[in-house]
Amino acid sequence: MIVADKKPIEEIIEEVKNNEKILILGCNECVTVCEAGGKKEVGVLASALRMYFLNQSKEVKIDEITLERQCDHEYLEEIRDVMDQYDAVVSIACGVGVQFMAEKYHSTPIYPGVDTCFLGVTEERGLWTERCQACGHCILASTGGICPIARCAKRVLNGPCGGSAKGKCEIDKEIDCAWQLIIDRLEALDRLDEYEALCPLKDWSTDRAGGPRKVVREDVQQ
Amino acid sequence: MQLKRKFEKGEFAILAEIEPPKGVEISTMVSNATRVKGDVDAFVVPEMSNAVMRMSSLGGAMILQGKGMETVVQFNCRDRNRIALQADLLAAYACGITNVMAVKGEDPSFGDHHQARSVYDIDLVDLLQVVGGLQKGKDMAGIELSGSPEFLVGSTVDAGAMGKSPELVLEEMNKKMEAGTQFFITPPIFDLSAIEPFTKRVHLQQVNIIPTVLLLKSLGMARYMARNVDHIYIPDDLIRRIQKSPEKVRECVLIAAEMVNTLKAEGFSGVLLSTIGWEHKLPEILDKI
Repeated sequence: MIVADKKPIEEIIEEVKNNEKILILGCNECVTVCEAGGKKEVGVLASALRMYFLNQSKEVKIDEITLERQCDHEYLEEIRDVMDQYDAVVSIACGVGVQFMAEKYHSTPIYPGVDTCFLGVTEERGLWTERCQACGHCILASTGGICPIARCAKRVLNGPCGGSAKGKCEIDKEIDCAWQLIIDRLEALDRLDEYEALCPLKDWSTDRAGGPRKVVREDVQQ
Repeated sequence: MQLKRKFEKGEFAILAEIEPPKGVEISTMVSNATRVKGDVDAFVVPEMSNAVMRMSSLGGAMILQGKGMETVVQFNCRDRNRIALQADLLAAYACGITNVMAVKGEDPSFGDHHQARSVYDIDLVDLLQVVGGLQKGKDMAGIELSGSPEFLVGSTVDAGAMGKSPELVLEEMNKKMEAGTQFFITPPIFDLSAIEPFTKRVHLQQVNIIPTVLLLKSLGMARYMARNVDHIYIPDDLIRRIQKSPEKVRECVLIAAEMVNTLKAEGFSGVLLSTIGWEHKLPEILDKI
C-alpha cells in the first residue's frame, strides 16, 4: 500500500487559514490502513481545525467526507454536486489523490493534509516500513523476494557493500542490511548458488529516468 | 579573466563552443580552438549536451586552459549530486578555470544512454546559490573552506524561445540573477524578432545577455529545425536564401557572421558561436565579423 504520515497541524493551518468553507476529504484505501487519512483522521483533523478557528474567533465551515478512493474518476464525481460549497479542500489521501482532485476540480484549491512516504507494509500497529520503490522492472525473482533497491541504502545489486556489519546497515544500526536478508533467504531456500550470479546492469528507464510513467493496457481499454 | 574584463568594460565578447571528444583523442578539439584563440574571448565547453556521453566539460576545459585558452566550464545537475558538484567546482577553480555556467542538462532519454538514472539532487537555481556559497568561503553544509573560488558565473535564459512567455522568462532570469548569475546565454537566434519581446523588457546595458548564433550546416538542417524544434524560430526567408544559394555552406557561414554583426549593433554583451561539430568553420565566421 501507499504509506503516508499526518502533516503537522500547524502546516495545514497555514495552508487553509484564509479560507471560510473548508472540506476535509479522506480516502478509504491505503491511507486508512496506515491511519493517516481515513474517516477517523478526517474527524480528528476537522475537530482540530474547528478548535483553531474558534480560538481565532473566526467562523469557518468545516465539513467531512471520506470517499472510497481518490484515485478513480467515479468516486471523485460523487462530490461534484457539493464542491461549489467550499473555497478549499484539504485532501488527506496520498499525493495521487490530491493531484487527481486538483485535475478534476480545476478552480478549487486542493491542499495536502498528509505527507506521502512510500510503498510499504504494516509491520505492526503503528509501524509501517518500505518494501517497494516501483522501479518498473521487478527483480525479486533473483533476490529471494527481498528488494535491494527499496531496502538497501545504496541500492547495490550485487551483494552487500563494505558498510554491512553484523547484518546491519552502516547508515543506521536499526536497519537490516538488505543483502544480509537476501543471503539468509537464499540460504533458507537452498538457492545460495544463485547469489554468485551477476545481476545484469539495471535499466532505470522503467524507473523515473524516462519522466512520468504510464501503463497502457489495450486489452482492457474500451 | 579576459571575458570578465570585457563584460566590465562593456565590450562585445565572442564566445565559441568547443565540444570535447567522445573518447580521449583531443588533438581535433585542441587544434580547432588553437586556430581561433586570438579572436575568441573564451571557449564554452558543453557538459554532455543532449545527454550524449563524452569527455566532461571540466576535462575539456582543463585541457584548453592548460594550453593558454580561457574557458567557460559547464555544470549540470543531471549527473552529479551536491557533493560531487561542489568538489568539481573547487577543482575547476584550482585548475585555473574562472568562468562557470550552470545548465539544466537534458533528460537521458534525449541522449545515447537511455537507461541512465538522472541525479537532480539539487536544481539549477540551487546550484547557482551553491557557487555563491563557495565564493563566500563555505560549502553547503556550512563548513569553512580553505580558500574560496571567485568565478564569473553564467547560466541560460530562454530569451527568444518560441512559445515561452517573456514575462516568465524574465522572472526566471531575475531569480538566477538574485542567485548570483552575471551572464546569460540564450537559445539560438536566427532573427531579431524572436528575441524582441524579451529585449523590450530588459536593459541590455544592465545585464549581460549572450545570444547563441548557431551555424546551420545545410538546407536540410535549417528545414528540420524550423519544422521540428518548436522553441527556435527560423524565418522562411532565411531558408529560401539558403535554398537559392549555389554555395550553401558558404551562405550559412555568411548568415552566422551577419547575425553576430546584427546582435553586436543591437547592444548585446556578446555572442556564443555554436558550430556543433563544425568547429573548423569558426575561422571563416570570425573572419567576417
